[in-house]
Amino acid sequence: MMNLKISALEFVEEAKNGNVSVEEFIGKTLERINDVDDKLHAFLSINDKAIDQARDIDKRIKSGEKVGACFGMPISIKDNMCIKDSKTTCASKMLENFVAPYDATVISKLKKQDAIFIGKVNMDEFAMGLSTEFSAFGPSKNPWNIEHVPGGSSGGSAVSVSSYECIASLGSDTGGSVRNPASFCSTVGYKPTYGLISRYGLISYANSIEQIGPLTRTVKDTAFMLNLIAGIDPNDSTTVNNNNEDYLVNIDSGIEGKKIGIITEMVGDGIDPEVMTATKEAISKLEGLGAICEEVSLEMVKYSVAAYYTITATEAGSNLARYDNLRYGYDLPVEGYEFNSYISKARKNFGPEVTRRMIIGGFVPSAGHAGKYFLKAMKVKSKLTKEINEAFKKFDLLIAPTVPILPFKIGEKIDDPVSLFLVDINTVTANLTGKPAISIPFKIVNGLPIGIQLLANSMNDKLLLQAAYALEQTVTLPEVPI
Amino acid sequence: MVTVEEIEHVSKLMKIDVDDHSEYLEKVQTMISYFDILDSAGVESEEISMPEIPIEELRHDEHIPFGEKLIEKMNHYKGTYVRAPKM
Repeated sequence: MMNLKISALEFVEEAKNGNVSVEEFIGKTLERINDVDDKLHAFLSINDKAIDQARDIDKRIKSGEKVGACFGMPISIKDNMCIKDSKTTCASKMLENFVAPYDATVISKLKKQDAIFIGKVNMDEFAMGLSTEFSAFGPSKNPWNIEHVPGGSSGGSAVSVSSYECIASLGSDTGGSVRNPASFCSTVGYKPTYGLISRYGLISYANSIEQIGPLTRTVKDTAFMLNLIAGIDPNDSTTVNNNNEDYLVNIDSGIEGKKIGIITEMVGDGIDPEVMTATKEAISKLEGLGAICEEVSLEMVKYSVAAYYTITATEAGSNLARYDNLRYGYDLPVEGYEFNSYISKARKNFGPEVTRRMIIGGFVPSAGHAGKYFLKAMKVKSKLTKEINEAFKKFDLLIAPTVPILPFKIGEKIDDPVSLFLVDINTVTANLTGKPAISIPFKIVNGLPIGIQLLANSMNDKLLLQAAYALEQTVTLPEVPI
Repeated sequence: MVTVEEIEHVSKLMKIDVDDHSEYLEKVQTMISYFDILDSAGVESEEISMPEIPIEELRHDEHIPFGEKLIEKMNHYKGTYVRAPKM
């Protein structure tokens, strides 16, 4: 029986040495998807050339030809990243038939390393949500308990990794959209320093804060993926030069003597007691490894969710203007419509959450309201950045639970937008300030996962991964029951 | 407090065809009311800081051929023009 539960690094080693047939592994992965995805709905489309691609890689391995670092590893891709000649729907009816004419930079980098994109995975429509309930193609389910949400917006990514439908996935994180589902599904989820990974070919939602990030089974796998996809890109002027940092080297350095700040505002009111207990246990384990943990206050965290939604709705209002039925959208005949009504008709097919955010995105930056909402939100963002920069003068890392609550039931919060907003309270800070953050699977309580989040200063991604690896080594978790 | 009229106005500006604006009223009002928390952040005197990228770090402003005729991927085009409804 082929073991689909292996890590990325284990797979690479086995495939490289010829102990695993890539074709067989991909075949078994497709069987697994066939067996479980009716229940989970992680995938929106499957790569029908995956077996052929695997066969080709097997041939090259056998003949001693050069093979890329992924050796045919099956990776799922959130359906907001362009893969040339493949559908990229953003889980929206608007892009239901959109076939990308080019590869995102992360895709071309992984293609060069012989990754196999096993399929595109579900998400909240245009990444607007944190439960994957706002996908136009139906919600994904949490493999730990299918009555519960898997988190979002990269819900399909987390589900596919945790239920062994692939080895790793790429998601995007605008306010926690990688870390939140990683926490809810018990996978590692990484949001890098802003600019570390190119966004070229990622369908834009809120450019100023979003980043692509990997979801994997282990911290080492995240470091491996980061090695492959990070770095400067002429097609994305916000990318930063990481000098080809190798994030795997010295990942086991440990955290002895490191100072870790416990963010007071993220462990207070509204936190589930089980999540609080898990957080205290994580802190205790880090102290046991030689870290020094103390509380630190970031006062602006209280306002961060309001600032986040104001800024993202504004950017979304601008970004989604391109869905005008001409460049993107439906195939409506142009005859018989006036220009504005033609565009409006297309946009009528946005889902309700996207429509709401478009309305808000038109309202909060408008004349008469910008001073009260958008400008204040930008000022909160600036002050929060100052606060966290001050904190990093004293601390090497910060810690908080990734999400203050356990995965909730599907439908439980869908009619309560503010209650949904507040699920993001611990994750948006990293986005608003551009800092790297990671969610590490830590505990299963009543059959539901809890993740612990660590944050580091900008460009200290390597230190962050070292700390995450140290914490990960203290934990043994049960297997997903599906 | 957001009114139905404001939602109608913003929907029109954003070019979104909404059948029943009152359907969106409650949730949009709830969201906007929550944003009022920003009033108590005490950030009036705060400067907005924006990341700056020196122009020399940007790629050269030159045409990079795509290699395919992108216009042929459009649903409605004629020659080198995209066809659009009359304005």
